[in-house]
Amino acid sequence: MLKYILKLGWKNVWRNPTRSGVVIITVLLGTWAGIFATGFFNGMLNDYIKGQINLTVGHVQIMYPEFEDLYNPNYAIPNAENLIRTLQVNPDVDEVSGKSVATGLAQSARNSFGVTIWGMDIENDTSVSVRSIKGYLEEGDFPEAENRNQILIGDDLAERLGLELRSRMVLSFQDVSGDLTAGAFRVAGIFDSFDSRFDENFVVVNKADLNRILGGKNLTHNIRIDTDDLMTAGVLAEQLQDSNPDLEVKSWREIAPDLRYVFDMQDLSLYLVMIIIIIGLIFSIINTMLMAVMERTRELGMLRAIGMNKSRTFSMVMLETVFLTLVGSPVGLLLGWLTITYFGASGIDLSAFSEGLEGWGFTTMIYPSLALKYYLNIVLFVAVAALISALYPAWRALQLRPVEAIRKFN
Amino acid sequence: MPTQNGNNMSVIRTEGLTKVYNPDQVPVHALNGVDLTIEKGEFTAIVGPSGSGKTTLLNIIGGLDEPTGGKAFIRGTDISTLSDRELINFRLNHIGFVFQSFNLIPVLTALENVSFIMQMQGRPAKECREKSIELLEEVGLKDKINKRPSELSGGQQQRVAVARALASKPDFVLADEPTANLDSVSTAELLDMMAELNEVEDMTFIFSTHDQRVIDRARRVITLVDGKIDSDEERTVDSG
Repeated sequence: MLKYILKLGWKNVWRNPTRSGVVIITVLLGTWAGIFATGFFNGMLNDYIKGQINLTVGHVQIMYPEFEDLYNPNYAIPNAENLIRTLQVNPDVDEVSGKSVATGLAQSARNSFGVTIWGMDIENDTSVSVRSIKGYLEEGDFPEAENRNQILIGDDLAERLGLELRSRMVLSFQDVSGDLTAGAFRVAGIFDSFDSRFDENFVVVNKADLNRILGGKNLTHNIRIDTDDLMTAGVLAEQLQDSNPDLEVKSWREIAPDLRYVFDMQDLSLYLVMIIIIIGLIFSIINTMLMAVMERTRELGMLRAIGMNKSRTFSMVMLETVFLTLVGSPVGLLLGWLTITYFGASGIDLSAFSEGLEGWGFTTMIYPSLALKYYLNIVLFVAVAALISALYPAWRALQLRPVEAIRKFN
Repeated sequence: MPTQNGNNMSVIRTEGLTKVYNPDQVPVHALNGVDLTIEKGEFTAIVGPSGSGKTTLLNIIGGLDEPTGGKAFIRGTDISTLSDRELINFRLNHIGFVFQSFNLIPVLTALENVSFIMQMQGRPAKECREKSIELLEEVGLKDKINKRPSELSGGQQQRVAVARALASKPDFVLADEPTANLDSVSTAELLDMMAELNEVEDMTFIFSTHDQRVIDRARRVITLVDGKIDSDEERTVDSG
């Protein structure tokens, strides 16, 4: 009998090809949209987290405990060179980079603005810390070691201070003796990253230049460590903290709580996107199936009258919905996968919205990506949605009284 | 008086059947104590003006409606005491239905429509197919077994419905205005076929009808007026 109910359900699907086609396309689009929107959002969040970590945070940072309070240049990491050498041979550490840091005022003839100054060993440091900034270089070049006092600034700061390539500017900050000091720098290059806050608030100079003006030798205030896997950063940070109890070691989760929040909420956000799409899908299926049941009132009444029991009537309507979903969902799944694969390689250019996106630290090139588990979950969601949608129409079919449905005898 | 046991048992027997609609507001007495016995092999027409109660009577003996009072026995079983689930099974296994329209499932072929009811009874697929072909041959539709209802004429559709009604091996067939939408030729063919089934297979047919052509062929005509049997006439009819 099941075979017959299956056959009848399947044939009923094609009773009104246009209407069934609309539902199949709705399911197809719903599945596709669910996958694509989730992949897009996932890609966006991944790029955001990856971009922020590469550009500013790294996986683990080591500092002198009090340094972050006032950015006092005296709180440099003791024997930083030795520590860096030790870290370089640590198998859990992928890349290490040490920089001196100062906070001060960037001034031009036109304006001034508070900035964080990174002193980096630009020539010798090949770590992601330097590479990522180099990737965003828009004009000019990185400061060269043989040319004194060259500076790399962001386009937003350049605009704010009215600076161009080779313009001169002054950085003033506190030196190791607590006195205010200043240095004149020439703009060697201008970068334009995905994050306008970074472009406005951070400048990069040669470590030797910054240390000379700070009045210390080989000052390193911050050691940034990158690992193979973001997830292992916490464990590494704990290990390093144990072996360096006098220093402060923090993982990216502690350094950037906003990133941690985005990371932790990523799954929830993705499922929210899916659920919103699925809710739309549910109402579309309910609407169609209800129409399919209501227009067959007499036929269903006849079936009930001649002896089709409730469970078979219920199964028949449920199966019709399942068939509608089974046709649309795999095609949507395939299309979704193809779209994500294609755009995952070529990217989606959102530079038209760059101002808004960069303001929030998002890249303008989005590379959608989606793990297998999300594909499976979306299919599961669509299947559950289809079943939920079929419940009400199937229930309505059961409420039909045969005697009323067939308009009685006579 | 037929007994309630053994082979002499009446196919249908009602005792003081009453049906009141809207009992709390404006009561409408559709049936006022109908006592009726129908034996196996009868070819009976139930007639009467609109509002006479024949619809209600057929609904109740078809197990589609419940009486307000009285009892309705089908083969000795008081169907008013059956639960919904039991009633559905009872209809499936004991009553054949031919409705005025919407008789067939439009997406299934004639063969599948006839087969479907036997499938619901849980009979083996091979038996369902063979019996369906046999029945469709019997109703003169051997060459139409793979046609869908939309590819058949109204008369042919009603013949498929008769084959479907017989497929479940019912105790009787209830036919509600089966000729209402048919032309004279189709009506005559359908009635000939049912009369033959009645005579050859001793199948009990009960019609509700206004159609004089059907009334003329019936061997018993029960006329209802105001929810009561006004006349119950047995006749000898030329089966040709």
